[in-house]
Amino acid sequence: MNTTLRLSDLKAGDRARVTSIQAEPAIRQRLQEMGLTRGETLVLEKVAPLGDPMELLVRSYHLSLRREEGACIFVEKEG
Amino acid sequence: MVTIALAGNPNCGKTSLFNALTGARQHVGNWPGVTVERRAGTFRFEKGEEGTVVDLPGTYSLSARSEDERIAASYLSEPEVDVIVNVVDATNLERNLYLTTQLLELKRPMILVLNMADEAKAQGLELDLETMRKLIGGPVVTTVGSTGEGLEALKAAVLEVAPGTSAPTMPHVNYGLDIEGEVAKLELEISRDEKLAATMPPRRLSLRLLEGAPDALEMVERSHASKAIQARLESSLAFLDDHLGADAPTLLAEYRYGFARGLVKESVKRGETPALDRSSRMDRVLTHRFWGFPIFLAVMVAVYSLTFVVGAYPQDWIGTGFEWLQAFLGSHLPEGELTSLLANGIVPGVGSVVVFLPVIMILMGCISFLEDSGYMARAAFIMDRLMHKMGLHGKSFISLIMGLGCNAPAIQATRTIEARSDRLITILVNPLISCSARLPVYILFAGAFFSPFHGALVIVGMHVLGFALAIIMGKVLRLTLFRQDQAPFVMELPPYRMPLPRTTILHMWEKGTIFLRKAGTVIFAGAVLIWFLSQYPGINDKSLAIERHKQEEQIKAQGLAPEAEKAAIDDLEFAHQGRIMNNSYAARFGQLVQPIFRPILDPDHRRPEAWKDGVALTAGFVAKEIVVGTMGVLNQAREEGEEGQLSPLQQNLRDNSGLTPLTAIAFMVFTLIYIPCLGTVGIIRKETQSWGWTGFSVGYGLVLAWVLSWLIVTLGRALGLG
Repeated sequence: MNTTLRLSDLKAGDRARVTSIQAEPAIRQRLQEMGLTRGETLVLEKVAPLGDPMELLVRSYHLSLRREEGACIFVEKEG
Repeated sequence: MVTIALAGNPNCGKTSLFNALTGARQHVGNWPGVTVERRAGTFRFEKGEEGTVVDLPGTYSLSARSEDERIAASYLSEPEVDVIVNVVDATNLERNLYLTTQLLELKRPMILVLNMADEAKAQGLELDLETMRKLIGGPVVTTVGSTGEGLEALKAAVLEVAPGTSAPTMPHVNYGLDIEGEVAKLELEISRDEKLAATMPPRRLSLRLLEGAPDALEMVERSHASKAIQARLESSLAFLDDHLGADAPTLLAEYRYGFARGLVKESVKRGETPALDRSSRMDRVLTHRFWGFPIFLAVMVAVYSLTFVVGAYPQDWIGTGFEWLQAFLGSHLPEGELTSLLANGIVPGVGSVVVFLPVIMILMGCISFLEDSGYMARAAFIMDRLMHKMGLHGKSFISLIMGLGCNAPAIQATRTIEARSDRLITILVNPLISCSARLPVYILFAGAFFSPFHGALVIVGMHVLGFALAIIMGKVLRLTLFRQDQAPFVMELPPYRMPLPRTTILHMWEKGTIFLRKAGTVIFAGAVLIWFLSQYPGINDKSLAIERHKQEEQIKAQGLAPEAEKAAIDDLEFAHQGRIMNNSYAARFGQLVQPIFRPILDPDHRRPEAWKDGVALTAGFVAKEIVVGTMGVLNQAREEGEEGQLSPLQQNLRDNSGLTPLTAIAFMVFTLIYIPCLGTVGIIRKETQSWGWTGFSVGYGLVLAWVLSWLIVTLGRALGLG
């Protein structure tokens, strides 16, 4: 059984699966619309030079998120 | 006539397709009441009849939470739209098709356009159009926006589904038994109110209600069946939560993406995929931990130089041209009020607007290039941490830096910031960045009151102060007026692409003409007003005119060398201008507001000359460098001087004005902050579409300028510096 982490706790190069998003409805819907739905696999590609925001590879496109939003997304690390 | 609407995600190549379709037959305006651009144009079908095309703002969904989404969603339900053309990026189908699933819910004739088909092919993607057509229930065509390939097929497809042809059978996402059951029950309740059912397909409305969309809930509230619908909705939501272990919006998003993924699986064959795509390879350098910043700064320096250094040449030509025109009119038209209005009001006023044109066009060209190439998103990615601390967005940075050159185009550059609150804050703090027009004022005062070394420090200090204030104001605005609408930073980093020269040039042209037309009217009116205030009531004293004529004759009688004679007559004219100015409404206004300036510029009440400050600052509203020229006219001293020495105006200020180094700093600080110049005010009005925000910008500038100058003078004196 994998432990659940926040997306913002991942390191560059980590691969993880989304388990849930806990944020107010508008933000959660925005994140889901961008493809971060439950069960979806993502890769944390890199972190911006100043440590925030982060760049993800999800549904084969590149998406950037602030740590603030990343902290609302719960994931299970893979591989 | 057939009207089509282009809908799609940002970065799907919609606009280049629109340009290819319409060519020059397009115009840009605003959607009613908002600042979002509305592009519309016409095109011709094969047989010659005309069609209209409207380019919607790019959106990732139709949930109507952002301004762009609201516009897209509401326009797509307008009866004037005959066919929805859903443009998708063929290289990024899955994410793009999410919007498609929502467009299908609108139940209108629709075409799916797989744009950038050339790139998809190069990436080894094989698109099976037949299968897609079956799954989407409408025509599917491939296009290449950059070359116009596939446009004929697109037009043919429009005619195929246009009204009057057989109604298409639109598929929809199947949300599974439980959800579909609840949707059916909601649909039934909704259809009891025919008016409500006519405004939005009941199925779409049901889904929007399950998603908790505020606009859908509002629609229902106005219905006579609202009680029944709301009761139904509550029990449906409770049922779904209980049975499916997740709330409705989450489930709907998952089913939609499920549909999108299924469609891709059925109809796209992936050939050999390159190990790492080109954009990722480029990002290894461009957003690198160490190299990212130097590269970004180099890009900023390049854009700044291109805009304000190269742009200075055409700016000079235009300026010279208008000066020549002014001199020509002044000397060739009969003397009189109309000539004065033309030569001293309208021509220099329009000139002061038109000189902005080259920098605006160049900067907008650069911004458009950065945006279309994909680098803008990376710049925001690199800078967001810093900007977010200021209550701003990563994309605000470019606007702030360009403010160092000129605030007017810098404010136009905020167009790329999506969230309204981020944009407004960036616009409102921008005038605090010290633009190049304020430099002559600093040079004048710093030179007059400080040693060269300290003067340089003061000038640098003014720029630093401007940035510091922008940071503080950004934070303050974010925490007060814009507390509510903090937009999440969820930004796509689109693939790097070479922008089309045609798109960039069209964009420059558009920005240029919009600037001249819209902002020009505000600035023009302001210039005429300022002319009136500074020339009227004028001098009616006949004896003065006779006196002046006499003096002129005397000079001519002396038989001086032509240059000396011209200089002497110029001096006479200069003195005459000074008299008009001193008697003008502007001067009276300056005297009227003198008490306001007293605490900051004349704390000891010992300066008989203090009223001139108010006049100069009032005139500086047109453009801040005018403060210097007005000071020159008022003090009867020119600002040009011998190399390496103080100019006559600087000597005059130092020796006669009664200003001290401390009050001189207060004057500079006041000039930095007090009010955006006329051109900038015009742009703020245009970009915010609101006189309220424009007034706020002017008002808070004045208050902040006064308070800060007062603090500096008061603290300085307390420290014994006065």
